[in-house]
Amino acid sequence: MNIIGPDKLIFGVDDVEACRQFARDYGLAEQGEHSFVALDGTGIEVRSRDDESLPAALASGSMLRKTVYGVADQATLDQIKAELETDRDVKVLEDGSIELLDDLGFVLGFQVTVRKAVDLAAERVNSVAQCNRGINHVGVSKDHKPSIQTLSHVVYFVPDPVKAEAFYEKRLGFVTTDRFTGVGPFMRPAGTQDHHTLFFIGTPPHMQGCEHFTFHLSGPTDVMQAGTNMVNKGYQSFWGPGRHLFGSNWFWYFKSPFGCNMEFDADMDQHDDSWTGREAMMGPDNSQAFLLQYREKWAPAGGPPPKA
Amino acid sequence: MNKIHLGAVSDFNDGEAKGFDINNVGADTFFVVRKGNEMFAYVDICPHYNDTSLPWKRHMYLDNQSQHIVCAAHGALFDIEDGYCLQGPCLGQTLRKVPIEVSADNDIWIRLTTIEEFNL
Repeated sequence: MNIIGPDKLIFGVDDVEACRQFARDYGLAEQGEHSFVALDGTGIEVRSRDDESLPAALASGSMLRKTVYGVADQATLDQIKAELETDRDVKVLEDGSIELLDDLGFVLGFQVTVRKAVDLAAERVNSVAQCNRGINHVGVSKDHKPSIQTLSHVVYFVPDPVKAEAFYEKRLGFVTTDRFTGVGPFMRPAGTQDHHTLFFIGTPPHMQGCEHFTFHLSGPTDVMQAGTNMVNKGYQSFWGPGRHLFGSNWFWYFKSPFGCNMEFDADMDQHDDSWTGREAMMGPDNSQAFLLQYREKWAPAGGPPPKA
Repeated sequence: MNKIHLGAVSDFNDGEAKGFDINNVGADTFFVVRKGNEMFAYVDICPHYNDTSLPWKRHMYLDNQSQHIVCAAHGALFDIEDGYCLQGPCLGQTLRKVPIEVSADNDIWIRLTTIEEFNL
């Protein structure tokens, strides 16, 4: 099935204005009354938790109310509908998208993707042998504004990661790229080569919900600058900056008023069907190649202080 | 002086919380919440991982209706009066309560021994 990846995450939140400001400061663009989007049109929808247009909340109280996947075309949408209406209710909504529950109870939507073809260039890095950025192009400036390129992935806390993996693999054609033993798989749908658009973490049932979500940026410099901008605006880092091992993506996570962490990421590995998945125990040593800690700008200057 | 002044009760609106970084470590280590005329204080560490702080922004320890203390990392909700986790990853666990004193003239104090004991 040619599912490309998440197009939109829909939240029912406690503090709408705090979430709207957070989304603006993160770097998303406002679109209409409820949406905040990346360059390619993927994004999030922010509504009050008592908004009657929202699907029912999970019993856990998670603010994530729906994950909407973008698919390549109407034929794929029809294929998903035919596959899943064999054993569950599949609603066709007014906008032509379909809505259903996965085997864990998460509300899913599928639509012909909204992703626009825009310039999503990667950060260019020069080396001794390769001048990738071009002569006389500087790599960084204080005034640079990081671009939020596209919705990258969502991570769910789930009570049964085996059941979750089976649903996404057998019913929707996702592929497991890597796995944390006893915790859960990293998965990608067939329409993308990104290492993962979905990751499951097995937890007790009362935790079911969204652990974090993230958008891709152009490279590590944008992750650092976007994160620094958030710190300067008073937002509190949760984890990072650093670089994951599985997926190789650079990361920086921030706590958020969405009831989950919101991450910046960049430079994720790309895989095709020839990839052989890896497996490792989850823990600090396997979760990142390195982990850094923010500190305020500082510089060494000159020689030792004058003698008193 | 064997205690430190944290401010007056009137410095807090009802349903307001504030974080404190008494030793200037660069991040708040505990927070104080006013509920009615009572003051409550907790170590700023969520029991989910026992290693991460609660708010998404400085002083943002409460939900929008000031009904519960919130950990922004994964949405855990805690009772303001006893720190008990009612919803979220650390369900059934409690925030570590910090003893504070409110004087007859409504000043809020914390003892130096408490700061040392709780590593605040």
